[in-house]
Amino acid sequence: MRHGKYPFIIGFLAVPVALYATFVVAAYVQTFQLSLTSWSGFGVIKYVGFDNFVKLWEDELFWKSLRHNAYLLFLLPILTIALALVFAFLLNVGGGTKGGVTRGVWGSKFYRVIFFFPQLMALAIVAVIFGRVFSSDKSGMLNGLFPDSWSPWLFLADERWALTCILAVLVWQAVGFYVVLFSAGMGSIGEEIYEAAALDGATRVTLFFRITLPLLWNTIQTGWVYLGIAAFDAFALVNIMTVDRGGPDGATSVLAMMIYRNTFEYSQVGYASALGVVLFFLTLTFAALTLRVTRRDAV
Amino acid sequence: MARHDEGVVTVGRSRVGTFFANSTGIVFGLVMLFPVYWVLNTAFKPDKEVRSFTPTFWPHEFTLDNFRSALGEELFIPSMINGLIITALAVAAALVVGFLAALAIARFSFYGRRAIILVVLAVQLVPFLALLIPLFLMLQGAGLTNTLVGVALVYLVLLLPYTVWTLRGFISGIPRELDEAAMIDGCTRAQVFWRIILPLTGPGLVATSVYGFIQAWNEFIIINTLNDPKNQNLMAWLLYNQTERGTAWGPLMAGAIITSIPVVIFFLIIQRNIATGLTAGAVKG
Repeated sequence: MRHGKYPFIIGFLAVPVALYATFVVAAYVQTFQLSLTSWSGFGVIKYVGFDNFVKLWEDELFWKSLRHNAYLLFLLPILTIALALVFAFLLNVGGGTKGGVTRGVWGSKFYRVIFFFPQLMALAIVAVIFGRVFSSDKSGMLNGLFPDSWSPWLFLADERWALTCILAVLVWQAVGFYVVLFSAGMGSIGEEIYEAAALDGATRVTLFFRITLPLLWNTIQTGWVYLGIAAFDAFALVNIMTVDRGGPDGATSVLAMMIYRNTFEYSQVGYASALGVVLFFLTLTFAALTLRVTRRDAV
Repeated sequence: MARHDEGVVTVGRSRVGTFFANSTGIVFGLVMLFPVYWVLNTAFKPDKEVRSFTPTFWPHEFTLDNFRSALGEELFIPSMINGLIITALAVAAALVVGFLAALAIARFSFYGRRAIILVVLAVQLVPFLALLIPLFLMLQGAGLTNTLVGVALVYLVLLLPYTVWTLRGFISGIPRELDEAAMIDGCTRAQVFWRIILPLTGPGLVATSVYGFIQAWNEFIIINTLNDPKNQNLMAWLLYNQTERGTAWGPLMAGAIITSIPVVIFFLIIQRNIATGLTAGAVKG
C-alpha cells in the first residue's frame, strides 16, 4: 500500500490545511501583530513594542483571571468525572445483584434520558435560567426555598461564592453526558467479571474501585480532554450570568472575558490581543501536556 | 457482603445501601430536570404570574401568549431560517472535509502527521474570542461580513477539530485487514474509502453531526460580532433582542423552547445511535 499515497494525503488535507492557515494561523499572526500596538479598533495603528505585556504583568485582574481559569481547568474535570462515575455506577450496578443479575437503581432507564436534557439546552439559556436560580434577593429560586427569616444568600453577588456558582452550572451541564458515556463503557464490562468478583466477596465499593475504575480508564482520559475544553469555554456563562460581567470586583473574571471586554467595551484591541497571545501559549501548553499524558495518538 | 441465599450470589443487597442508592438517584434526577421544567413552567405562564415576587411552581393560568409574542416578532422567523441555513452549511461541509482529513490522518503515515494532530487538538482548545478581531477584519476584506456564508465558514473551522478527532478514532477502529482484503479483490484505494470505510464510519458521522448541529445552532457570540441584527441566528436574536428590553421572561422562555425544537427533533431521530456513536469513537484511540 505504498505507491501513490501522496496524492490522497494532499487531496484530503488541502482544504482543512487551507482553512486552518487562513482562519487560525493567519488570524493568530495578526493577533500577535496587534498585541504590539495600541490600536483601539479604529484609525491608525501605532506600534508600542511590549508595552501591552508589561501592562499585563502589572494588571491585578489578569492574575486573578488566570487563577480563575486554572481553578476551573482543575476542578471542572475532577468534579464532573467523579460525579458521573458515581451515577453511572449507580445506574448500572447500584441496585445490587438479584438472582445473579446486576441491576441499576430504580428508574435507571428514565434517568438515562433525563441526563441528556442539559445537553439539549443551549448554554446561553442555561445561563439565563441559573442566573434566576442564583438570584440574590427573595425572587431567586434558591433563596425562595429558604425560610423567610433567613437573610438572602448572595450567591453570584458574593465575591467568595460567585465562581463556585459558575463551576456548579458547568458541572451540571456536563455531568449528564459523562454519565451516559461512562454507562456505555460500564455496559461493555463483562457481567462475568462482576460475578467472579462477587463470588470472591467484593462489596459495591470494591467493585467500583477494583473493577469499574481501571477498566474505564481510557474513557475517563478522553473525558478529561473535553472537560478541559469546556473549562476554557466558561466565558459564555460568565458573560451572561455574573454581576457586571466577571464581577463582583473581578471575582468571576476569566481570560476570555477580559479579551471580550477589552475588545468591545474598552476599545483596547491591542491589549486584548496581548491577552489573546497569552491564552494561545497557555492552550498550547495544555494541549501538549494532555497529548503527552493521554497518548491518544499512539495508534 | 456476598451472601449465599439459596445458592444465588448476592452483592450489596443491604437494604440501607439500596435505599441510599435509590434516593441519590432521585435527588440527582430532580436537579437535572429542574431547569427544563422551569423553562416550560415560565413559558406557559401569563406575564403577571412570571413577574410576581413569589415564584409559582405551576402556571395557575395556562397561556400561549408568550409563544404568540415570540413568534410575532419581526425578526424571529428570518433569524430561525438564517440559523438553519448556516448550521446546514457548516455541518455538511465539516462532515465532508473532516472525513477526508480523518482518513488521511488515520490511514497514512506521512511527514508532519503528528504536527497536524497536535494542531487539531490545540485549535479545539483555543477560545475563539482571541481570534474574533482578525477574523472580522479578514472577512471584511473578503466582503463576507454580514453574510450567512461568512459565519458558516467560521463555524466550519470551529467544528472541524472535533469532527476530525472523532472520525479519526472511528477510522482507526476499522481493521486495516479489511482494506487489504478489498484491495486484493480488486478495489482501488478510492473504492476502499468509499465502499468500506465510509459505511463503517456511519455512527461516527452521526455523532459528529449531532455535535456540530448543536454547536452551530446555539452559537451566538461570533455571529453577533460579524453580522447586523437582520442576519442573526435564533439564539443571538433571542439573547440580545430580549435582554435589551429588560428581560421579558415569558417570551424569552417560549423562544428558548422554540429554539430547542430542532435540536430535540434531531436528537430523537439519531437517539438510537447516539450512545454507540459518541462512545465508540471516543474509546478507540
